Amino acid sequence: MGTDPRIGLLLALADDELILGHRLSEWTGWVPYIEEDLALSSIAQDEMAHARALYEIVSSLDGREVDALALGREPSQYRNAVLCERPNADFAYTVARQWLYDTADDVRLRALDASTFKELREVARVFRLEERYHLDHADAWFRRLSGGPVEARRRFTEALARALPEALALFEPLDGEDALIADGTLPRAHADLLAEWLAAVGATLEAAGLDHVLTATIDQPAGEMVPTSAGAMETSAPATPPLVVPDVERRDGRWVHAGGFSGAGGRRGEHSSDFEPLWQELTGLYRAHPGARW
Amino acid sequence: MNVTEHDVREALSRVMDPEIPTCSITDLGIVERVAVDETAIEIDLLPTFAGCPALDAIREDVETAVRGVAASAEIRVRFVMDPPWTTERISDAGVRALAGYGIAGPVLVPLGRPSSVQCPYCGSMRTHEDAAFGPTPCRTIQYCEACRNPFEGFKTKSERRAPR
Repeated sequence: MGTDPRIGLLLALADDELILGHRLSEWTGWVPYIEEDLALSSIAQDEMAHARALYEIVSSLDGREVDALALGREPSQYRNAVLCERPNADFAYTVARQWLYDTADDVRLRALDASTFKELREVARVFRLEERYHLDHADAWFRRLSGGPVEARRRFTEALARALPEALALFEPLDGEDALIADGTLPRAHADLLAEWLAAVGATLEAAGLDHVLTATIDQPAGEMVPTSAGAMETSAPATPPLVVPDVERRDGRWVHAGGFSGAGGRRGEHSSDFEPLWQELTGLYRAHPGARW
Repeated sequence: MNVTEHDVREALSRVMDPEIPTCSITDLGIVERVAVDETAIEIDLLPTFAGCPALDAIREDVETAVRGVAASAEIRVRFVMDPPWTTERISDAGVRALAGYGIAGPVLVPLGRPSSVQCPYCGSMRTHEDAAFGPTPCRTIQYCEACRNPFEGFKTKSERRAPR
């Protein structure tokens, strides 16, 4: 691995797109209706193409092959945020994750418009033109689920609360970030990008009456009323401990980051236990047949 | 070399998009640069969408077509991202060629709003977008309320597209 900090930035961006694209591709053939199946499959295809374009830039810097970058690294060498590797769970979680991701991706791509790194600036401009469709898709589902029937809104709200801490960590500062800012590769620090994104997302959630997800603790298993074998109703025990989100607070009418990332680690190669099975499937063919071409 | 840039561009104008066989890649606006020197011909192409699965097929078709007018030249075909391919690069002939294949040309209105997409079958403007994602990364699904046919539309990719 080179010491060029630009490679760390490119891999963070590319691995986010590749891993989330892989997750979305798992929906192909399973979405309840064809238009949405095409939507998630097309978005997956776009994200993977964007990853490929970014790996090509890495390849021009350090000579590694694109396939080796996408498929030939050990799990700890992937730099994607943990959010991107989480299983799709239900449709509400998939949509919540996608809305948080696409809005965050838009903020960082717009910032790269001013990058001094020509190749990165050029691809970011192309990505933004294509990501407009992703943003429209995410916004349409945000409106539909947040304003939809009680069950839809409840599940969407829970999914947002679960995804949000890990979405914040999309903006976890990178190793060598100071150098990237000094030479203009990264025109704005991740802390600055996070502030912009969080203020916008916070305002949208407030307008939808969902801002409580910004400070929610996740306890949906505890609140569920389930029938016992005897037919009586009782409250189920929590399957997972509540996840506390101490990182966000409202200050002077805006939602701001209060420091710390409870969902962080991906940028340093520290992944959740969900990553290993995904990596096995994503890279299995490449590892089984070294040098294969397709 | 006794081949000119004009010869190469003319050869390229006969290369059809593999997924839209009525529309040439020059009318689609993806030929960005052609350079001819003593020994080599360089061609820079722009992907309509980065995830277009037809890129390798287009590259091969371009190489074959150029080989036809310059058998001994070294031919280098690259896909580049600068400038971005946008909707405005499709020529008027390209828009007609798309319609001839049942694909409406792109328009500059936001998704989900009443659009001015024209039905390629009956010509009516009484159409609406059925789905923003279609059979390829560059297409949408539209519906004509006049002749009641679904049809495909070319996605709009433009910095001038109206805001949401």
